[in-house]
Amino acid sequence: MLQEVRVGLLPALRDARGEELLNEIRTALGIQSVKTVRTVKVYRFEGIDEQAARLLAERLLSEAVFQEYRINEPLITNADRLIEVAYRPGVMNPEAGSLMKAAADLGIEGLLAADSSTEYAFFGSLSRHELETITRRLLVNETVQQVVTEKPATLLLGGEPGRTSVIPVRTMNDAELTALSEDRLFLNLEEMRLIQGYFRKLGRDPTDAEVEILAQTWSEHCVHKTFKARIVVDGEEKKPFLTRLREATAAVRRENLVLSAFVDNSGVMHFYDGWAICGKVETHNAPSAIEPYGGAATGSGGVFRDIMGTGQGAKVIASTDIFCFAPPETPPETIPAGCLHPHYLLRRVVAGVRDYGNRMGIPTNNGSVHFHPDFRAKPSVIVGSYGLIPADRAQKGRPRPGDKVVVFGGRTGRDGIHGATFSSAAMTDRTMTVNAQAVQIGHAIEEKRMADALLAARDEGLIHAITDCGAGGFASAVGEMGADTGALIHLDRAPLKYSGLAPWEILLSESQERMVAAVAPENVPRFMEICRGHNVEATVLGEFTDTGRFEAYHGKEKVVDLEMEFLHHGLPQRVLSCSLTAANLSEPEIPLPADWAELCCRVLSHLNVCSKEPIVRVYDHGVQGTNALPPYGGIAGDGPNDAVVLTPVLGKPYGMVIAHGLNPVLNKIDAYWGGLWAAAEAVANAVAVGADPRELALIDNFIWPVPEGEFLAHLDRAVDACADFSRALKLPFISGKDSLSGTYKGRDMVINIPPVLCISAFGRLPDINGTVTADLKGEGSRLLLVGNRREEEMGGSVYYDLHGHLGKSIPRINLKKLPEVFLTVHRAIKSGAVLACHDVSEGGLLTALAEMAFGGGFGAEIELPKGSRPDFFLFNETAGCFVLELAPGADPAALAGGVPHLLLGKTVPEPELRFGQGTRPLFTVSLARLRAAYQQPMKEVFGA
Amino acid sequence: MRPPVIVMRTDGTNCDAETAYAFELAGGAPRLVHVNQLRSGREKLNRYKILAIPGGFSYGDDVHSGKILAVELTSFLREEITGFVAAGGLVLGICNGFQVLVRTGLLPFGEIGPVRATLMVNDSARFECRWVRLRVEPSPCIFTRGATGRVVEFQVAHGEGRFFAERATLEEIEARGLVAFRYVDAGGNTTQEYPGNPNGSLNAIAGITDPSGRIMGLMPHPERNVLPHHHPNWRRLKDYLPAGRFIFENAVALAKGEG
Repeated sequence: MLQEVRVGLLPALRDARGEELLNEIRTALGIQSVKTVRTVKVYRFEGIDEQAARLLAERLLSEAVFQEYRINEPLITNADRLIEVAYRPGVMNPEAGSLMKAAADLGIEGLLAADSSTEYAFFGSLSRHELETITRRLLVNETVQQVVTEKPATLLLGGEPGRTSVIPVRTMNDAELTALSEDRLFLNLEEMRLIQGYFRKLGRDPTDAEVEILAQTWSEHCVHKTFKARIVVDGEEKKPFLTRLREATAAVRRENLVLSAFVDNSGVMHFYDGWAICGKVETHNAPSAIEPYGGAATGSGGVFRDIMGTGQGAKVIASTDIFCFAPPETPPETIPAGCLHPHYLLRRVVAGVRDYGNRMGIPTNNGSVHFHPDFRAKPSVIVGSYGLIPADRAQKGRPRPGDKVVVFGGRTGRDGIHGATFSSAAMTDRTMTVNAQAVQIGHAIEEKRMADALLAARDEGLIHAITDCGAGGFASAVGEMGADTGALIHLDRAPLKYSGLAPWEILLSESQERMVAAVAPENVPRFMEICRGHNVEATVLGEFTDTGRFEAYHGKEKVVDLEMEFLHHGLPQRVLSCSLTAANLSEPEIPLPADWAELCCRVLSHLNVCSKEPIVRVYDHGVQGTNALPPYGGIAGDGPNDAVVLTPVLGKPYGMVIAHGLNPVLNKIDAYWGGLWAAAEAVANAVAVGADPRELALIDNFIWPVPEGEFLAHLDRAVDACADFSRALKLPFISGKDSLSGTYKGRDMVINIPPVLCISAFGRLPDINGTVTADLKGEGSRLLLVGNRREEEMGGSVYYDLHGHLGKSIPRINLKKLPEVFLTVHRAIKSGAVLACHDVSEGGLLTALAEMAFGGGFGAEIELPKGSRPDFFLFNETAGCFVLELAPGADPAALAGGVPHLLLGKTVPEPELRFGQGTRPLFTVSLARLRAAYQQPMKEVFGA
Repeated sequence: MRPPVIVMRTDGTNCDAETAYAFELAGGAPRLVHVNQLRSGREKLNRYKILAIPGGFSYGDDVHSGKILAVELTSFLREEITGFVAAGGLVLGICNGFQVLVRTGLLPFGEIGPVRATLMVNDSARFECRWVRLRVEPSPCIFTRGATGRVVEFQVAHGEGRFFAERATLEEIEARGLVAFRYVDAGGNTTQEYPGNPNGSLNAIAGITDPSGRIMGLMPHPERNVLPHHHPNWRRLKDYLPAGRFIFENAVALAKGEG
């Protein structure tokens, strides 16, 4: 029998979590009938008696100072409605392990399993229907959670061990091959025929494990077929996308800067004193759309492991998060069936990033959120990670034949097999049998101790090569590491979360928090000892060989025997054709505004402009003690900065800068100019805080609608933009990723996301004393606008959007002049002549000025040039333009040199922005009013 | 000689490196030691003068923040810790370390045993990272010696930091002067208002000491304010002296026998 312990706050104490939920019920759902919510934690234990449960309740689970508990009986008996929410069986509750550990520490014997869940007690006249709405919209995500209606009989998971089956591909006709692929492999017929031909030549049929491993290795996700394909645009053949990006990087010849590009789990550049820094940016769109908390958390976990798996192991020192959602106020009836509401998605994705990063102790301090209605079916969740590594351990390692294949970290379960498409109907809580793949919620502490062990092993030189077990699991990790040698593994040796996995499932499982290392046999004992000392499970799965084959056994049965050559090079290059059609766009005619102050407030409260501070505050951006320029600063801590500056080596003056840029809506108009905008914005953000524009490396992330027809043509232009930018600025791309499934096909509608090109920029600077923040520092300082822009290029702007227009003419960044602008701003900052600097982006010059003023706490008086159209002047969004607050005595003409510049006006002590044109005052608006507008949208979503 | 400092870590500890760095800056000789090394007897507390339990999410903060580690320490290292304290060792718990110390019973009254005070979920129900103002209170605490009345700015980064105790316990804490730090507003006055008091702590308590003054715990992070560029607005401040250093310097001085 299970023992149940319920723990709740003493009745007289307020329940902050209950109130938080109540607030969400009222604001997000508009349900007013609930008066109070109380929460109760429910713990269940199997294998112990009531006396042991009481000991746990008193010593571990509850604290009499503020809590009370009940054993095997309800705690709250007078609620109007009460439901319990638990993880589904097979979804590993991270708390279970801690309960087992603490019980053992307390000397409790016989405990077989433990679990925890939460009861919500509602007080008020809410109807059954309202309870259902609350449950469905806020409490239970059926992918991973369920409502517990009766006490479970057992917590133990079990199942029949699966077997290996042989797939008779040799005798299949095309229809059968197609059916096999559609069912589980997602390859096209040509690729299926290649597999058939290979096994016909071998004279045998493949096992299920073999076809799975081929499908995985050849999947778009792993080999980036589109980016490696030959591209024909309007009948003219062009080089593959990846080739163009790599050739640009090679052409800029930054060998003194770049240590490794595109070959490892992240891109690496030189830092100082024998250190190197590395960066990787990933997407986790599909899992986050299904289970936003777990999807975002495991997205963070995955990209952290990419850093950890760089060279012989890097320390993760920073995290970034960039999201694209539909507006939080989107009417629920416009959300396609089966998709989650953006209000819920946004909050839960933020919670996932928060919990994984905070628990791992990775400062999250650079990011952004973009909103567009067309993300309502497919949101984009981009997570970046950066690392520090000794330069002499930064080259991608190579396993040697005889090295052991060591898996360490978490256990293997049925997680993420074939993506997260399991059927909840097949899962019953009565039998407690795991028979469907479960989406994971992430276990940050598992990854943290793995990271600690990894760095200790690296410092002792125990690791020849290392990689993350992510997509494709062991198949991908071992297959890639052993590509040049060969590898033989024993799947039955892998520690499992529960029994019942078929060999192919062990091979393909995407369980999080696992890594694979190549360790020389003589170093294995020490490696194991380090892992044990950090409470990390490590297992020798097999070894790297010199056979050139991927071999896997389950017991005595050989379930995989494939040539690495066929696995990695058997896939033919694709040829993709497209043609570019001119978009049917027009320029709107917008009259000059009547109420300027109101207009400014509407711009500042636009979702793509407004403050994201409530999000930033839930991320620990100070952990590791490295922050030298925070995401928000200024006297009240509410003025946004353009980039983050870190000092990863404590006590040293040198710093690392991280920034990014994207503006998806521009790509709806023109993906080339939109692409240049994103890249220019990324570098401008870095330069605005003082970075040297010659000391940066770039990372690309393409998140695109399915690249067919026109979308392929747009992608082609975006890639050209990246390559052109790289050559013009002499900045290398050193890592990148594409995710080309941003098309939602429902029964009666197709929704394409606005194409996303996110460019991340990171780099080094010798002394953080040469950096500046965006908050205004002095009264009476002159304000200088620097950069090239054509004010009438308003397409895709927030200003147009507020009038319901997309527009046509988007900012066309001048690549010939941009390098000089960046260098000029950098030199001005370095010289000490700049007190504050902010780049111009969404919301235009007005937004830049307002944000600088918020941080400084005083205002500005701005003179618009005669002949300018004032709304375009204030709301143009051309990237690569900057507002500089000049130190007293600085000479604007000397600072700007040959770069276009304009003296805008000066700072004033009054907390307001004043605008005039010629001798005529245009308008004045108070900072208090602007600030309220700027902060209101996210305060509403996050209840801050 | 630099006094040896043990910076104890376990699964989920994540402020260990910067805490060690703060002690190093202050003249200590910090060493990162996993709790497993203490449990196995490979490491001994009595080789050290100062025990620091840094911030983080020990064991994921499962059940309660710091609870699983507190259970582990009181189950396996009770005598060793008691002996360390009795021999004059200093104990500093920051953030998660503070949560551990109240859950072992070492704070507020210096005895391993029942939990007398606790750190609850923030009133906002949210993890929050922001800079706050603190006033150093008159207390027997040796970590804050010489700083009484000073107002300092530290960063908080926690979701469970609301200091709470029963009324009688709270009165005893106040009567014995065990409050080391309180949250104050811009005017330097004790505050219950968010965000000056970021979590709703009773009596605006941000940190406390035991009666001997040798054990201190606090929610804000002094180790994140030991370098000139740690303050978020260091560019606005002339000749800024990092306000967190004195805590580590006091501890090291006393451990050296200079205090």
